[in-house]
Amino acid sequence: MSHSSAPCDSSASMPGMVACAARHVARVAGVRRMAADTWCAAIDAPDLASKITPGQFFMIRPAEGTDPLLGRPFALYDTLSDSNGNPTGVEFGFVKVGKLTSIMSDWRPGDRVSIWGPLGNGFPLPDCQHLICVAGGIGQTPFLGVIREALGQRSYGQPARQVPRKPESVTLCYGVRSEKWLAGLDDFALPGLDVRLATDDGSRGHHGYVTDLLRLQLQQNRPDTHVYCCGPEPMMAAVAKVCREAKVACWLSLETPMACGFGACFSCVTKVVEPDGSWDYRRTCVEGPVFAADRLLFHESV
Amino acid sequence: MPDLAVKLNRLSLQNPILVASGTFGYAREMAAFVDFRAIGGIIPKTVTPAPRPGNPPPRTVETASGMLNSIGLDNDGFDQFMTDKLPYLISLGTSIIVNIAAKTNDEFRRMAERLNDAEGVAAVELNISCPNVSGGVDFGTDPSLAATVVGTVREVCRLPVIAKLTPNVTSVVPIARAVADAGCDAVSLVNTFQGMAINWKKQRPVLGNILGGLSGPAIKPLALRIVWQVAQQVQVPIIGVGGIQSIDDVMEFLIAGASAVQIGTANFYNPGIAGQLVSELEAALQLLNADSVTSIVGSLRTGS
Repeated sequence: MSHSSAPCDSSASMPGMVACAARHVARVAGVRRMAADTWCAAIDAPDLASKITPGQFFMIRPAEGTDPLLGRPFALYDTLSDSNGNPTGVEFGFVKVGKLTSIMSDWRPGDRVSIWGPLGNGFPLPDCQHLICVAGGIGQTPFLGVIREALGQRSYGQPARQVPRKPESVTLCYGVRSEKWLAGLDDFALPGLDVRLATDDGSRGHHGYVTDLLRLQLQQNRPDTHVYCCGPEPMMAAVAKVCREAKVACWLSLETPMACGFGACFSCVTKVVEPDGSWDYRRTCVEGPVFAADRLLFHESV
Repeated sequence: MPDLAVKLNRLSLQNPILVASGTFGYAREMAAFVDFRAIGGIIPKTVTPAPRPGNPPPRTVETASGMLNSIGLDNDGFDQFMTDKLPYLISLGTSIIVNIAAKTNDEFRRMAERLNDAEGVAAVELNISCPNVSGGVDFGTDPSLAATVVGTVREVCRLPVIAKLTPNVTSVVPIARAVADAGCDAVSLVNTFQGMAINWKKQRPVLGNILGGLSGPAIKPLALRIVWQVAQQVQVPIIGVGGIQSIDDVMEFLIAGASAVQIGTANFYNPGIAGQLVSELEAALQLLNADSVTSIVGSLRTGS
């Protein structure tokens, strides 16, 4: 319902300012349980689904009412398509933690929502021999699209964008507190993807942190390896440190609280390093949410 | 077709729907969602003489039908605003009201002088009411200090002057009267109400700055009350602001005595709302058989 039909290749000055973003009143297609406290919602939103790319996000709230008031940001899990391959909607994962997510877990097909996007820059298109995605908790959600695109199994965007260099190997290192929070393992059972699991309590996979899995991967010393990471900030700070020590390029997707999602409110700031070595608060929504790890100072505060 | 144009002393607007400072970025952020030419005007985010990093996060938290913010006037400073942001703003085909804040009268004067030479600016709004910054003169809570800053700006600047006032005082009326006497063209009523949020499990404040300003639908009745009180007692055009999110809210503010309104927090959760409200205004006026916006301003009937 935007007046805008701007193209998606944003010419705006910020990498995450999306010219083709639009707000829609849309309907819930369904909500499925993924794991303990963890749900996946599907929204009928063909316009958004045709434009959004992996690592981008959208804001969503009930179509009516003032409590909850603000939208919440959610990363794309994957787009949905009809039998002809035309995009019909978007799926996203969430953990039931607050007022809105409690309402969302009770959404029924046909419920009306307000949704605006695509927003943010997303992960860079894979351009490496070896891609390692490191996910902590619900931070796994951006990686289904990233990995399917990297493996050449799906394409995203309008017009559909092409991966410049298909990685020889794609690995997902995925850590959660305990087995019952492992979400979407069936979705990640993809040909060509190596999935490595870790749990804090040892109930499944490696008994320990996901950073241990990453270290093992990096010990192979494969040249031209890139790391994409999303999860709680302490875990991302640890991943950034491991990558820095191994001299491996790393990108982090931040999940800072947002009020608008498109750069108007200046809530979602994080400390970003300037070329002269000083720092400034920058908006995660329009300069991120994905940043090269060496540009961030956020781990100072965790 | 009803006449939507309004005139606030020297400031003429094509319609009374403005967007509030700090809720619309510098307009570029809203380009995907809003037809700028349709709305009455844009008030970009407050600009200060020097760059300010702003307050440490978390900077916002949602509350019941509202939100608290303590952004802390995060901005790149006046020079960068003039070279990087203003040219885009004045190209948008609507009235641009530049919002400025400063810690001294001299700083206000210097910015106002420079705005004097800027082509295409419709007015200047003085932010003498931000609850989230300290260290300067608290212009907004003292009638004589508020009048002095308005007088200072009027002396050096040809543009219409709007004073944006704080509700965090015993009564806004004496302050509104003082700035009106000092020559401001209009007052914006009101900025946010100071508030706080606490995470009791951590025994910590939620906001990085401890205190913040409350906005959103939760404050609408409070803002409406202040608009009505000032309209009763002070001869000055009023721009109503506080929790407006529907055409009903717009009409209530106009009837209470506002000549125009600003849409604030609603821009965050319903981007595009400002343009939508403009399109709904005609039908609402026709319901009252009103042939203009001006004819209903302050038309509240309180007798039996």
